[in-house]
Amino acid sequence: MLEKRIRDLLLAARADARKQGLEAEFNFHRERSSLIRLGNSSVALSTSEELSRLDVTVQQGRKSGAYSMTSDITSPTQLAEALKVAATNCQAALAKDYDPIFGVVEEAVDDSTGFDPALEALSPVAKTELCKKVVDAVKPMGKYDFSGSWSSGSTEMYYISTANDNEAYRRLTDGSFIMVLKEQDKKWELQAERTQKRAGEFSADDVIAEFKAMLPVYEKNPGYKTHVDRQRVMFGPDAVANLLGLTIWGAFVGRMWEEKRAFSSNLKPGDRLFPESVTITDDPTNPNVFGMPFDFKGSRRRPRILCDKGILKTILYDSGTAAKYKRQPTASDLGNDDFCLSPGTAPAGIDAGRKLAQDALYVPQLHYVHMPDPTKGMFTCSSRFNARLIKNGEFVAPLLSSRVTDTIPSVFGGITAISSRTIPWNVSGTYDRRSPTAMSIPEYIICDGVRISDVADSF
Amino acid sequence: MSTEFDRQAAAVKADLKRMLDAGCSFADARLYDEDRTERLTLYDGNLETNYGANERGIGVRALYKGAWGFAATADLASISACFDKALANAKAATMLPGFPKDMGPAQPAKGQYRPPVKQDPFHVPMSEKLALLSGIDAGLKDSTVAHRYVTAGFQRRKIFYWNSESTEVDRWQLNTFGTMAVMAPDAQGRTQRRTMELFCNGDGTRGYEWLSDPEAFGGHAERVRKELSEIIAADPLPAGKRDVILLPGQGFLQVHETIGHALELDRILGYELSFAGGSHVRLEHIGKLRYGSDKLNARAGIVLNSPGTFGFDDEGTPQRDYYLIESGILVNVLSSRTDLAEANAKAGRVAVKESGTAARACAFYRTPIDRMTNINIDAGNDGTLEDIIAATEDGVVLDVPVSWSIGSNREHFHFATEIAWEVKNGKKTKVYKNPTYHGHTLEFWNSLDKVGSKATWCLEQVPNCGKGEPNQIMELGHGIPVMRFRGVETGEKE
Repeated sequence: MLEKRIRDLLLAARADARKQGLEAEFNFHRERSSLIRLGNSSVALSTSEELSRLDVTVQQGRKSGAYSMTSDITSPTQLAEALKVAATNCQAALAKDYDPIFGVVEEAVDDSTGFDPALEALSPVAKTELCKKVVDAVKPMGKYDFSGSWSSGSTEMYYISTANDNEAYRRLTDGSFIMVLKEQDKKWELQAERTQKRAGEFSADDVIAEFKAMLPVYEKNPGYKTHVDRQRVMFGPDAVANLLGLTIWGAFVGRMWEEKRAFSSNLKPGDRLFPESVTITDDPTNPNVFGMPFDFKGSRRRPRILCDKGILKTILYDSGTAAKYKRQPTASDLGNDDFCLSPGTAPAGIDAGRKLAQDALYVPQLHYVHMPDPTKGMFTCSSRFNARLIKNGEFVAPLLSSRVTDTIPSVFGGITAISSRTIPWNVSGTYDRRSPTAMSIPEYIICDGVRISDVADSF
Repeated sequence: MSTEFDRQAAAVKADLKRMLDAGCSFADARLYDEDRTERLTLYDGNLETNYGANERGIGVRALYKGAWGFAATADLASISACFDKALANAKAATMLPGFPKDMGPAQPAKGQYRPPVKQDPFHVPMSEKLALLSGIDAGLKDSTVAHRYVTAGFQRRKIFYWNSESTEVDRWQLNTFGTMAVMAPDAQGRTQRRTMELFCNGDGTRGYEWLSDPEAFGGHAERVRKELSEIIAADPLPAGKRDVILLPGQGFLQVHETIGHALELDRILGYELSFAGGSHVRLEHIGKLRYGSDKLNARAGIVLNSPGTFGFDDEGTPQRDYYLIESGILVNVLSSRTDLAEANAKAGRVAVKESGTAARACAFYRTPIDRMTNINIDAGNDGTLEDIIAATEDGVVLDVPVSWSIGSNREHFHFATEIAWEVKNGKKTKVYKNPTYHGHTLEFWNSLDKVGSKATWCLEQVPNCGKGEPNQIMELGHGIPVMRFRGVETGEKE
């Protein structure tokens, strides 16, 4: 449970709101995080942040107003001020033409199952030691430079409202490790990436082995410039996570669907969206994801099938969209969902995947993905780290930067194989507050007829 | 009697000295006494966002044996502990040393910066702001419009900066942003959009009076609505190679992605590789590389009314105005003080003489990195938009990004825009929808052959430039004239 001192303050603020006759929601967020950033084979920066934030939302009929503060939240005066500003914003607001949904903590939650004190306290020294071991082992093998980052920390989320006395709390830790090896003259880049839920989940030896396994193809072969055409592509883990993210946004987000801006808008639940091999869930119980137990309207989050063997089952509604279109909210008022793409039947392992693919482009990561046309699901992006040409089931050459411009329905429609092994993939955004998010994804999918629209002369 | 701030300032100065005594070669601190934001969004007439925020705290850097450590806290009673943490982080960083970081000769500065503002938006009653937005929203309403939104965003920051070279800078930042947009499906069911952002010619002020000026914002509602109806009725742009005329509403993105980010020194040195990518530019290119045609003059500029103008950067260096690309030749890059020594050592010459005053952080809890300020293109002497159209045989005029994607080293790009006007034999003929264009950075900029006069130049604001790990959202502006590029791949081929 949340530290008593802060909890008491927030409960007192809720009591104060009730006394004033206000309908108020309080969302407290605290992070203790640190990051080391590598550049040119050294630690370029080592940071740590300790931040507390409080969001207060006041609702009065069809009006609402919000206020957020990032500061040391230790004084009742500050909390009273936050409530006052939110109430003032609410009072001045324009009434909506629908009845907004007020937050109610459906059931009390106190979840620290995802918390590992050792990961919260993981020191820059420990991180640097692991990175140093990799650099010391691999750097002498060529003209290599290393960059990357390793962020880790703990996040606490606490949500209450004046609607009842329930409290929803969760505390978890996460880490994201990314290391890039760049050849200084030829300019190709390799990447090793890890998602971390507990301290000690991976080792320097593991990362060294991954780089060593990739290096021969890059060292012995010039870059391969592929042609503009429809081709077989084996997408690796980061690319699969990206494609899943685009799919959620372009097919399952309620606002997009209701406004006919989604590529699924002409379908209704029960209609076929994708081939039978595609099953997508929002599942906080999946062991690969971080498992958010409640949303920030107080709804308990439970597994939800979005697409079952290719059949559209559920559209996701945040409370605002649900209120506007008179739908049931789907516990989606959060920035950290738990999306999962179910495994297929193809053999596990990237090496097994390339043997299955035979002749294909291996694109493990998509860079700068954008969707010019969500109504068709059209996206564009370019290949990046670790991309290779597969010939006769073997990796034979590094791939020069290649652009994919295609639609999600076309790419998913062309799936010929999905790995039978799923892995966790950290997709946490770092634009704003720490909000650990991971997807559960098959380690590869193989798709026929993916459109390559441009190729650069460099990596 | 000493105020709370005075006590904090005294603590910071004492801790800066303590860092030097502990062996640091440099240390600095940014105290955000206030970082207020307000966001209002009317979506289909409903006030969907009605949000205010304030952030308060301190961020500290310590440079120890050539390695950086950073720490931040919102607890202003624990400033010394924050310095200790920064020092500990720096010491940990020395375990894997690289090119030792060095701030170069001390550059003590003292100063104050205040942006030009007549009416502080945070002093304007909410009812007045909502009345303005509602009025604009009413102007966007039409039976053909399926959805519409109007947003306003305001920022006010009061930042105090100190460093161990005795620099003391006190600066405010105040920014005002506004967007309006209308959307509707076309006959094929594809959502089309037309957007308008608050813009200026570089002069004027940054307060609420700017947003409420109909010429700068609200007065464009009818045009925006009308252009959407033209887009909906239009055919898709046929694929083909043709001249492309970029209005500033699209030209700013071209500059942002293919010049601004590509010239950030930390990218060139490889410090962004694991995240948003590197750059095709190498240190040996500075002073030599033909980046574009001789019509191209790009500068990191100081523009009175722009969120990219801030007086002093987050190392306390006074902002300056300088060329990045002069007559098509790359002559400088965007930098902070931090990376100069490394860049010059690796170049084997003085490739970058002084800080590009680009050390910027988005919040007290983020560390300064090299980022764009105002990356502007100098106006040319090829006349008005009409003059450039008159000189074009086969082309399109493009405006406002729909999507943008660029290769990891920023060599090849793919952009989609909201609208295209066909140009045939010197005349604007019809509107096309779904325009896209793509190309390769140097080839594209070398095809620049017309640059509009000052009358075509306007400053587009960017409130959401993302970069860094942990990621930072930064505000800036781009002053851009109308530009024409020859023989560009447009449209999508199947």
